[in-house]
Amino acid sequence: MADALDPVIHAPARLRVVATLAALDAGDELSFPRLQKLLDMTAGNLSTHLRKLEDAGYVRVTKTHEGRTPATYLALTPQGRRAFEDYQEALTGLLRGAGS
Amino acid sequence: MTDHPDRPGDATDDAGLAAADSLRLIREQQDRARAALGPDGRALYGAWGVAWLAGYLVLWFSAQGREQPEAWAYWVFAGALAAAVVFTMVHTMSRTSGTRGVSARTGAMYGWAWMLGFLTFSAFLGGLARAGADGELMGLASNGGACLVVGLLYLGGAVAFDDRSLFVLGGWILLVAAAATLAGLPLTYLVMAFAGGGGFLVMALVDHLRIVRRRRRAGEGAGRG
Repeated sequence: MADALDPVIHAPARLRVVATLAALDAGDELSFPRLQKLLDMTAGNLSTHLRKLEDAGYVRVTKTHEGRTPATYLALTPQGRRAFEDYQEALTGLLRGAGS
Repeated sequence: MTDHPDRPGDATDDAGLAAADSLRLIREQQDRARAALGPDGRALYGAWGVAWLAGYLVLWFSAQGREQPEAWAYWVFAGALAAAVVFTMVHTMSRTSGTRGVSARTGAMYGWAWMLGFLTFSAFLGGLARAGADGELMGLASNGGACLVVGLLYLGGAVAFDDRSLFVLGGWILLVAAAATLAGLPLTYLVMAFAGGGGFLVMALVDHLRIVRRRRRAGEGAGRG
């Protein structure tokens, strides 16, 4: 089953990251601390997963400054959004296959 | 903690989830994100409903047997509306903090639209007063006019956020503006309290029922999965 599913998204922690970012409207971004709070993950753990998602081209990481404080914003790339939709479709397909 | 010391992030990753569990995980996480990142309509409509209902009822009671409500009643009314404004700003800003992009810009412009609308409206009332308007004329212009601004801004918000129930509320508030102005003082205050404040409270209830229904449907879906 796992062979058919995108391994980048399939890990539960990354699935929750991608699902959260997919809940934003396209064109919106979420700050690192708020994402971290929504996921109840440690900063280090979240950074690790975000790096993998960024390497896969699914997440865009924007580093900026608000006043003098550095801030990081995250968003799904169009590719990431598409991968998430494909992943959900694959799951639904698996579910239907299992039910019949 | 992990069998892959070189890949610490993957400790739980390899386990994999069954499809139904994954779909439930997605839905729960997205519901959580949407609820946390947007203002709670029930809280906002509830606050404005209570402010209008209480504020206008005080004006109405205070205007019994006199031409105008007493000064203290105006202060209570202003305090109720100011509290609702502060609550709306604090609630909305805390919910949307840490977000940026199209939605944040749309929301900021909508907030400024309210500010500009009411700044202009207070100048408009100042102009009427300078031209000699007083008593019932000022009472009708200020209440009916404010209601007109509110109704139009809700219609605009409905267009901006593609929110059908907000459009219905905007239309209703415009009807209230017309009815309250035609009713004449002090009946105007009673119309604003019950039809206006009541309208907000009905919206809070509708929003609440919608959330309950969605939650129940999600529960059924999870059971079926």
